[in-house]
Amino acid sequence: MRWSALGVGLVFGFLLTASGLGDYDTIHEGLLLQDPYIFLMMASAMAVAFAGLAVLRRTGRTWFAGRLSLPRHRIERRHVYGGAIFGLGFGVGATCPGMTVAMTATGGLYGLVVLVGLLGGLWLRGRVERGQRRPLSTEPETSAATRAAAGMPAVTSG
Amino acid sequence: MLDVLSGQLPWWIAGPAVGLCVVALYGLINARLGVSGAWLATLAPVEGWRPEPWRRTFLLALAGGCVVAAVLGPPVSVHGYGRLSEVLSPVALVPVLLLVGVALGYGSRWAGGCTSGHGMSGCAAGSPDSVVTTATFFSVAVLSTLGLNALTGGAL
Repeated sequence: MRWSALGVGLVFGFLLTASGLGDYDTIHEGLLLQDPYIFLMMASAMAVAFAGLAVLRRTGRTWFAGRLSLPRHRIERRHVYGGAIFGLGFGVGATCPGMTVAMTATGGLYGLVVLVGLLGGLWLRGRVERGQRRPLSTEPETSAATRAAAGMPAVTSG
Repeated sequence: MLDVLSGQLPWWIAGPAVGLCVVALYGLINARLGVSGAWLATLAPVEGWRPEPWRRTFLLALAGGCVVAAVLGPPVSVHGYGRLSEVLSPVALVPVLLLVGVALGYGSRWAGGCTSGHGMSGCAAGSPDSVVTTATFFSVAVLSTLGLNALTGGAL
């Protein structure tokens, strides 16, 4: 398990950095609709992943973790609200949780400030959920079995 | 640094290769590749829950991969924050970037994922929540970027 996450993480981080996604300009020019790079990269990644997952679905099994279960969740308001707040950060900062690591590694040390804010934002959302007496959300939505095994409260609603 | 990799990987290599990362993580350990989830796992001890064990490994490996690419790539120099650091003084830039981070963290936890978890993995799996989240954040990101560009007379 560990080795799989290690290998995929290494390759993923390498690709984010080598494709220049840690550079403000790459993302900013993309979001200004001046350079199609990020959209072409995103679309080709989705297309290949879509095709690959279709093949995996046919076998229905994973190498180390038994039966394959792909996410399928219904749409809730939080996806629009959360997505909008995330998009505002994405637009103003021209970065996202993964790209910020690439930014910092290539000498964009202001990325560290964004990372501090990121952890603060994740924590703050947890505080709000606790204040609303809701079960803490983890990512992705953890299955009931995993929650029980980890001693986490059961999720009743979104 | 070593300049073995010069410039940017073409999108038709980087994109499909990233797509294969998503497939590999599902195919190997049945896990959704997501970076905000990996960051969230680092908060688990503070909040008193146990994260899936692969997430910390993934985050460390991600950082390692970024460093490898930085070492093999063009010379690394400490630099500012693109046009944003030309427009704003450091005193103004730091709080803005903190808020950017807070928006990314708060929004991704609320929506249950970010560019990788919802944008690539969830969309490729055909999950409706991921499609909505991704469409929302890309639209808001483009609109806020175009809006800032117009407000600053093209400076940003």
